[in-house]
Amino acid sequence: MKNWKKIAEGSDISIPEPDLDRISPALDALEAAFRPLTKEIPHDMEPAVAFYVFPEAAE
Amino acid sequence: MTILEAAHALRKRAVSSAELTETALKSVRELNPKLNAFMTVMEDSARAQAKTADAELSKGADRGLLHGLPIAVKDVFETCGVRTTCGSAIFKDNVPNRDAAVVAKLAAAGAVLVGKTGMHELAYGITSNNPHFGTIRNPRDQDRIPGGSSGGSGAAVAAGMVFMAMGSDTGGSIRIPASFCGTVGLKPTSGRVSRYGVMPLDFSLDHMGPLARSARDAAATLQAIAGFDARDDTSSREPVDNYLPPADCSIRGVRIGLPENFYFDRLDPEVDAAVRRMAANAESLGAHVIPLRVPDIPALNAVGRIILLAEASAVMEKHAGNRNLFGADVMALIDQGRLLAATDYINAQRLRRMMQRDFAQLWRRVDCLFTPTTPMAAPRIGETTVQLGDQTEDVRLAATRLVRGINVLGFPALSMPCGVDRRGLPLSLQIIGRPFDETLVLRVAAALEDAGSAE
Repeated sequence: MKNWKKIAEGSDISIPEPDLDRISPALDALEAAFRPLTKEIPHDMEPAVAFYVFPEAAE
Repeated sequence: MTILEAAHALRKRAVSSAELTETALKSVRELNPKLNAFMTVMEDSARAQAKTADAELSKGADRGLLHGLPIAVKDVFETCGVRTTCGSAIFKDNVPNRDAAVVAKLAAAGAVLVGKTGMHELAYGITSNNPHFGTIRNPRDQDRIPGGSSGGSGAAVAAGMVFMAMGSDTGGSIRIPASFCGTVGLKPTSGRVSRYGVMPLDFSLDHMGPLARSARDAAATLQAIAGFDARDDTSSREPVDNYLPPADCSIRGVRIGLPENFYFDRLDPEVDAAVRRMAANAESLGAHVIPLRVPDIPALNAVGRIILLAEASAVMEKHAGNRNLFGADVMALIDQGRLLAATDYINAQRLRRMMQRDFAQLWRRVDCLFTPTTPMAAPRIGETTVQLGDQTEDVRLAATRLVRGINVLGFPALSMPCGVDRRGLPLSLQIIGRPFDETLVLRVAAALEDAGSAE
């Protein structure tokens, strides 16, 4: 599992230690569900993002 | 009385908009001290709008079914000159100088805006137990939550204060309060209803839709608010359909998928029985119920949670250092999002595209899916866990388990009542449709209502 306290420190994100202790189990559970999925992504799969044409550009 | 019944009465001059509005305001005055459904009540402007509506209708200037009817919008929709808090201490004094697209469209349809409904802080949670503006209570049992985040809208409609109240839905926030309060709640397809002027929780998962007393009332509202808006970069140019189901609508031949996996796991047995009863009722009306397996919903939920945590924390990043501005539950979610890697967010969006492709295959076999909306009826205020079968589950994760993934996919989904449990609490059916086929979803719901299945 990831060390969330070290990630917070390394990213200079200020979260009080008791709060980090409280959220770590939820992040661990999400990590366990999500990490295996990333191994299934085909190399050429692009993200589902919207392509935005600003109205000014379309005129 | 439903929107359709009130609209008919208005045109027969059996009642006036002014009378309907006074009734709504009286109801708000009487019930709101207990329920806390409304954040802001707009008595003076509502009376002025009602007077205008009566004058227009008397001259034959008819703006449609919502004309002259008292409604409300969640306090996430910007209203020009009227405080819009998003249920947050950060925005407690925020007075926008514009109307959200939905607010403007409802005004153009002649609806009378009675006020702004309360909500879970920042639309980021399902209890509507707001640390800044108070606890919102469920009209069906005031010791229970109304659901959220559109809890005030659910409570206002269920208590009969207004005919319809708008909500927003990022991971179930229209459908969960609809389920817990016993109303209809419609989350339209992504891009169907403009997000312009709605305070964002999550850029790629937010949807706007109505909570209403019936499927036809939800349809009448969607008719007024649907359509392309160049100011919303996800807005769709897909043509707006005629959503209102006819009086004698049929669902003969409609193919209804009943999932064999995931959706009926870990349910209150009364929810399970109620939803299966709805499927049987649909079959008796001529629909074909087809058992089928759906793709991996737990994976879809994990992807949805990564996207929501990352995007919502990005929205709130500039305020995150001021921790006393947030309730503990919302702060915890914002903290979680701040610790996620950028690569995980991008990969969640890549998985989202894969899953959208996989789920699209379903629509070759069926026209809609029947599932429960929530695995249980409304929990008590303050309950943090719920017992389902032999497992204890976090209330927030349980309430969102069957609805969150549909926001990732962008499909339309409607929650409707399907009876009550042994305690008299509402149970609910979720009808999920193919993209931009709100018409079929609403028709199926209306046919079930006509057959008495929602009671």
